[in-house]
Amino acid sequence: MVAPAASPAAPAPASTVPLKRRRAKGDDGVITVGRSRAGTILANTAGVVFSVLMLFPVYWVLNTAFKPADEVLALEPTFWPTSPTFDNFISAFKAPLFMKDMLNGVIVTLLAVAGALVVGFLGALSIARFSFYGRKAIILVVLVVQLIPFLSLLIPLFLMLQSADLTNSLIGVSITYLVLILPYTVWTLRGFISGIPRELDEAALIDGCTRGQVFWRIILPLTGPGLVATSVYGFIQAWNEFIIINTLNSPDKQNLMAWLLQNQTTRGTAWGPLMAGAIITSIPVVIFFLIIQRNIATGLTAGAVKG
Amino acid sequence: MSVVDSPATRRPNDPGRSQQHRAPGHAKPKRRSRESGRTPWLLALPALVLIAGLLGYPLVRMVVLSFQNMRLRELLSGRTPPWVGFDQYTKVLGDGVFWSVVGRTVAFTFVSVLISVLFGLGIALLMRRVSRGVRLFMVVAMMFVWALPQLVAAQIFRWMTDSDFGVVNYLIDKLPGVDYQNHSWFVNPWQGWSVITTLVVWAGIPFLAITLNAGLTQVPKELLEAATVDGATPWQALRNIILPILKPLIMIVTTLSVIWNFGLFTQAWVLRDGHPEPQFQTLATYSYTQAFGQSRYSLGSAIAVITVLLMLGVMIFYIRQMFRIGEVD
Repeated sequence: MVAPAASPAAPAPASTVPLKRRRAKGDDGVITVGRSRAGTILANTAGVVFSVLMLFPVYWVLNTAFKPADEVLALEPTFWPTSPTFDNFISAFKAPLFMKDMLNGVIVTLLAVAGALVVGFLGALSIARFSFYGRKAIILVVLVVQLIPFLSLLIPLFLMLQSADLTNSLIGVSITYLVLILPYTVWTLRGFISGIPRELDEAALIDGCTRGQVFWRIILPLTGPGLVATSVYGFIQAWNEFIIINTLNSPDKQNLMAWLLQNQTTRGTAWGPLMAGAIITSIPVVIFFLIIQRNIATGLTAGAVKG
Repeated sequence: MSVVDSPATRRPNDPGRSQQHRAPGHAKPKRRSRESGRTPWLLALPALVLIAGLLGYPLVRMVVLSFQNMRLRELLSGRTPPWVGFDQYTKVLGDGVFWSVVGRTVAFTFVSVLISVLFGLGIALLMRRVSRGVRLFMVVAMMFVWALPQLVAAQIFRWMTDSDFGVVNYLIDKLPGVDYQNHSWFVNPWQGWSVITTLVVWAGIPFLAITLNAGLTQVPKELLEAATVDGATPWQALRNIILPILKPLIMIVTTLSVIWNFGLFTQAWVLRDGHPEPQFQTLATYSYTQAFGQSRYSLGSAIAVITVLLMLGVMIFYIRQMFRIGEVD
């Protein structure tokens, strides 16, 4: 506890630190050799400052949304709403097309996620549970199409949907979103299915199950959590999308994200309702995200570090 | 707690992990696969049809379009647009504006990825050093930022940098001797791009820091302890132990950041009110504006094709990396 040190970058030489400190209480599994209290205080300060800076925009949108209109457009911004109000939220809900676009967003998102889940699950089952000629090719395709910048496909997609008379329709956007989230769905579910020990299938087969029963009684129930996580991720993707729907559809057939975008082009932004609308739009995403965030990180970089 | 803390930590029972311990090549019962010769293809068929129809075909169509001249007239009449060979490409590649867009996109990608990854690594290392409570606070703060939709984040930044009522101008104006009242951030492209870069870095740090922090938990403690006992400075420990072990993960997250930032669209689009000035165009917004703003669908396609080609190297690298680390068995 006595080792003097200046900064976390240059703590005291290890020899001056009593080895007893090696496992300080509460520091779960973190190396503590060569660490001084001053260094920890400095690191903690840096950590808190960093977190506060990160959260500032989040705080600012909340702060703005609960202010009355005249306080939003004040030359001296107040850092805490003096008379908090729900006015901005009410005017967001009352704004033209807000409710309609919200409903559109829900419909489009649910259709896309449901479709991607069914189609993706079957595809994942195929590459996770069978070994066949062409399996690697399918995996490669799934990986590659995830990387194509979807925006660059928007021109041909627009032309295709246009000639199929599917622009300015919720169905066209739903199908597009389905395909947008499909590769990730297949890829993630493949991981979940491979995680189920094959021995379980084999045991069930030996006990007289048919292949169909193996699917319904073993694979499907055990993939449950994976299905939830994957569909939530797909939900976030589809809910957050606005470029495609903004390009394909007219404002009354768009979603809330596109609504937020439209709102800015009207003369002089109504910042209060816009920020309130942004919060309403973000709430489902933030909640869902916080539930499943662990899977998102692992899905993108899975296996990059060998344990 | 377990949901928030070190999200990407590997657990032995994690789904999608255990297949690595199983050496799948040996465990596969060969006979069964022959029995069910058609089943896997039938299962994969719907997904393959959708991918082929709505990703594969548009990809081909995009290339075809770039050799035609599709304008509004052809779109409305439904006639086949005239073939023009490489005209669109010579037009694009001979255009100084295009090259400045390319240069800007590349420069932005380089700078923003460099800052993001360095920051992410620094924050990840900091997370190993702070007390438990502070670490939790950091994770929660980053989770909220990560969860925000891109569009919402961009709108927040647009509001904060508003020239009349933005809080950023107000705070900078408070500094002694600085007059930032009614300062417009997007008159000078350098300032405008620093706002965009700040937004992109701010939004990107959570993924990088939390993923790299999870990677850091995999660095064997014994190695670091041994190094410290042997008198290694923290810098030496970082350079010779932590970074080499973390290298594959750093490569992957850097590659992903490059792919994402190179395709920058939302942030520039929103901060410039849906009409980016020439100095705020990136390859993605440029292609989009040409196609949907000017109805030059073929020219937009040619730009998109060039964009994909420019990114191809990075993509191949990513896929090879995914195969190499054995995730793809």
